[in-house]
Amino acid sequence: MNLASRKLINRVFTSVGVLSILLMAATLVVIMGPIVERGLGAFIFRGTVEHRRVLLQQFGRGDREALEAESREVAAARRPVYDLLEAFEAQLTQGPAELRRQYRQPLNELKQHLQGLLGPFPGKPEPVLLRDRYGETRWDQARARCDHIVYAEHYDYSDPSRMGLLVRTPRAEQFAGTVLEPLFTYVPAHLEEMLRPRWTCYARFLTDVSYDSHFFGGIGPELLGTFYLTIGAILFAVPLGVVSAIYLTEYARPGSRVVALLRTCISTLAGVPSIVFGLFGLAFFINTLRVSPSKSVLAGSLTLGLLILPLVIRAAEEAIRSVPETYKLAALSLGATRWRTMVTVLLPAALPGILTGIVISMGRAAGETAPIIFTAAVSVGQPLALWQTFTEPTPALPWNIFNLCSEHQAVDEIRHVQYGMVFTLVLLVLLLNSTAIFLRARISRKLRG
Amino acid sequence: MVTTAMPQPVRPVRREQQAPAANPPAAPLPETAHVRTDNFSVYYHDHPAVNRVTLTIPAGKVTAIIGPSGCGKSTLLRAINRMNDFVPGARAEGQLWYCGQDVYGPNCDPVELRRRIGMVFQKPNPFPKSIFRNVAWAPKINGYRGDLEELVERSLRQAALWDEVKDKLDRSALALSGGQQQRLCIARAIAMQPDVLLMDEPCSALDPIATAHIEDLIDQLKTQYTVVLVTHNMQQAGRVSDRTAFMYLGELVEVDATDIIFTRPNNPRTQDYITGRFG
Amino acid sequence: MSSGLAASFLISRSAGRRKRLAGLLGHAALFLTASSSALAILFIFYYIFRDALPFFRQRGLREFLFSTAWYPSSPEPAFGALAIFYGSGLVTAGAVLFAVPLGVSAAICLSDTLPFRARQMVKPVIEILAAIPSVAFGFLALVVLAPHLQQHGGTMLAVVAGVLGLPVAALGTWVASDLCTTRWTGRTRQVLRGVAVLVLGAIALLALYHGVSFLKALQIASGTNALNVALVLGIMALPTIVSVSEDALQAVGRELREGAYALGATRAETMLFVVIPAARSGIAAAIILGIMRAIGETMVVWMASGNAAQIPTPWYNLLQPVRTLTATIAGDMGEADHVTGSARYHVLFAMALCLVVISYTLNLVSEHFVRRGGRVGRR
Repeated sequence: MNLASRKLINRVFTSVGVLSILLMAATLVVIMGPIVERGLGAFIFRGTVEHRRVLLQQFGRGDREALEAESREVAAARRPVYDLLEAFEAQLTQGPAELRRQYRQPLNELKQHLQGLLGPFPGKPEPVLLRDRYGETRWDQARARCDHIVYAEHYDYSDPSRMGLLVRTPRAEQFAGTVLEPLFTYVPAHLEEMLRPRWTCYARFLTDVSYDSHFFGGIGPELLGTFYLTIGAILFAVPLGVVSAIYLTEYARPGSRVVALLRTCISTLAGVPSIVFGLFGLAFFINTLRVSPSKSVLAGSLTLGLLILPLVIRAAEEAIRSVPETYKLAALSLGATRWRTMVTVLLPAALPGILTGIVISMGRAAGETAPIIFTAAVSVGQPLALWQTFTEPTPALPWNIFNLCSEHQAVDEIRHVQYGMVFTLVLLVLLLNSTAIFLRARISRKLRG
Repeated sequence: MVTTAMPQPVRPVRREQQAPAANPPAAPLPETAHVRTDNFSVYYHDHPAVNRVTLTIPAGKVTAIIGPSGCGKSTLLRAINRMNDFVPGARAEGQLWYCGQDVYGPNCDPVELRRRIGMVFQKPNPFPKSIFRNVAWAPKINGYRGDLEELVERSLRQAALWDEVKDKLDRSALALSGGQQQRLCIARAIAMQPDVLLMDEPCSALDPIATAHIEDLIDQLKTQYTVVLVTHNMQQAGRVSDRTAFMYLGELVEVDATDIIFTRPNNPRTQDYITGRFG
Repeated sequence: MSSGLAASFLISRSAGRRKRLAGLLGHAALFLTASSSALAILFIFYYIFRDALPFFRQRGLREFLFSTAWYPSSPEPAFGALAIFYGSGLVTAGAVLFAVPLGVSAAICLSDTLPFRARQMVKPVIEILAAIPSVAFGFLALVVLAPHLQQHGGTMLAVVAGVLGLPVAALGTWVASDLCTTRWTGRTRQVLRGVAVLVLGAIALLALYHGVSFLKALQIASGTNALNVALVLGIMALPTIVSVSEDALQAVGRELREGAYALGATRAETMLFVVIPAARSGIAAAIILGIMRAIGETMVVWMASGNAAQIPTPWYNLLQPVRTLTATIAGDMGEADHVTGSARYHVLFAMALCLVVISYTLNLVSEHFVRRGGRVGRR
């Protein structure tokens, strides 16, 4: 090969490497982009008057009088819609039966969407489900709903070789020639007056309970549950892990069979799939040890603790090993026992390293889903008090993300809650990890200084 | 749960009750034989690092051990307070007597032993704690009942460090200079009020001025402590020590008063080393 | 100093025995705590095995391993897990196919190309990627990636193939023309080479065009399929692969590299022919750890794989939904939970047993590679 080709290959080789790094960074951006953008949307959004109504009626927060004044103005803006509907229905009842048949289905659909947008019609009995008692609380969803009011959608499957095509037809065409026709220009034109969107910062999203399977409210119980589970796992794993690390670094004879066996066990434990931990937690902690009658925070914490045990052991071991040998020798030469040396010199010096490991393990425990499916998590629940954690299951962020986005009956309508949960969870984990990075930077600075 | 099961350091009170019960009051020790080895060897696995050394270290004197690197002088020093216990594969043979008692005998508790025999290492190794806590650490874990502050001040004064650090006792010891750190380590060792101070090349990591400080200090310390000094620096041995032992390949070649070793040694190998023909 | 104090390092025989006993007890307590992880792994094996055994007793091994009929809840249940094993294997293979080249070349770039400061900036990217919880990945796969794949999947694939294929084709043409004309020299060679570039280039372009237009015409019936999962699992396995193989490359040491450079090798040649062969155990360990991460992952596959217990047709078709072991356990346990004792409950433990055995074996293999790599690195 001549030199030019070799150089070309070399250049290509280098650029492949750089490209793959860039690709990795781009992947991260692509992943974090929607999470951050739409996740923040759960906290900061244009809330409609309905949102304020929910807050006042369900959580008792907000200015009652201002809301009442606003409600009056909003009702005035909505009046023409209801008037048009009434007029149309009157037209139908007076008109021929054929007309009624023709418009029954489109009208029902339209009324459903209007109800979704503005809440129950005035004068009608209060609906059973909480979600039907209020209109759209968020401006973005109100606009989407408005779009559904203006356009009817259906799929066209006439060409069997292709997938179904989405066809949008203006409802104004459906209702052409009726008294209802002006509605389809009135609603989009006066949407703002009818709903009064206002930029809202809903920080209590983090702490509020949720109503009607997350249609309204926040993620308080989930966050609390994740908190309990994480702390429980740490309480279980850290003492075990640190003591194990102490044994492995200072007490065990290095290179002995027992140590080799222990190490193999630790790395095997680290490699066990997380779902197997879940099964084991169910079979051992709940069905055999009966730490709780059924799923509970305690059982979940124990399972998660087992999962992060190898992480804690490795981190603590590395931290203890990286303490300079001279500290140990100095302490021993001053007549300290090995245990004293460990507790008063080595462990304090290794503490930042151990803390780093603990914090990273916390991130891992907070984000794991599979181990808590069978041991701790439920879809809906109230925030638990501390003593209840021994017997009661809890909702938790990771499980509820799964649950809301794949098992919820109205997946699309609570997208913002899902994104908010993902955002909160990712933020939580990243905060923990950046704490760890910060701690590590301090350690290396200390070692250098 | 584990703390209680671990060998606890015996508190001074208990020590005084126990020691006389176990050992009838020992006869006053001969001033001349504070530490004595008798056919003493240390093996690393099967390789003898110290080979059949018989040496007497008198009390209240500075004894220097010199020799080329790898001659076993540090190993011998570390054998005196049983620091070699922590080296995997190390094992001792023969006798090593301290205060007339066999250090490697079944009755000796190495932890207690190390409280009586302080050690200063090659590189200054203060704990990553404050200056005060560095000095107070050992008395504290041994249950010292007296005035800790007074003890720290006295130790620092003895180590000739007090004037330099008295205003910053709560600062990190790692912020001190190398020489100050080494003197702090000496203060830390003498805060335990030991009988013997073992110094393993205490100046090898220091600059000449700091070295001079330490040497002055050793000179003062010998009024209260028996000092054993390992050094590769013959001038230093000549300057500070009363007696000098020369080791070569794990064996003790010659030991005598320092001026004799440096002026008219008996053994030709000592002469060769002193005059710089090898080493 | 009184002589009583001077001799105080001596203790009586009974006190010594007491002390030794206490030390031994302490040591034993420490050892017991330290062996908690060993106990845990033992218990995991035992309990999974105990609950898996009834399934094999009732149904035997043959159906489980060789049949693809998976109807656990029908009145005449069938527990053929072959398709599920295949699904696990398929998504893992897909993930590895995607993550290994990317990860290893990123590791090479990190260890040998990038300056220190750039490396400091890339490290957090890897750490963040590693830290993102799997359920967040699953959420994105389901909510973001799947709809896109379903709507514009063919176009996306075609663009990717084009962007990747064009430079590869150009480089291949250039190098191949160079290689096949080495026999001649001077003017003849230049002419021959020109011809070769034209011919090979035309062939490559034609092949690329056909490939791209084939991909563009693809219709993806469902966005939740093996490709989606393989991509996301690949991203999740990346951090492991990158960091472990970077460690392995670093461990090779400067001497070898400098030796190669001193002989006039380019960076690519040094890396390809000297450093990577020396670090191959470590890289193998990295790949195995990546496989372990992919095979044990639950949430992503549960959410985004489509969960259809079938072997795709043809067998390599990544665009069809599949079902994996982990997702089956997670998904079916909810229904089988209350029928403890039924084959339906125990089959999940049988699957878990297979998972544990697979991960244990992979772990042993990776440990073996790490040990071998450590030896090479030390030498």
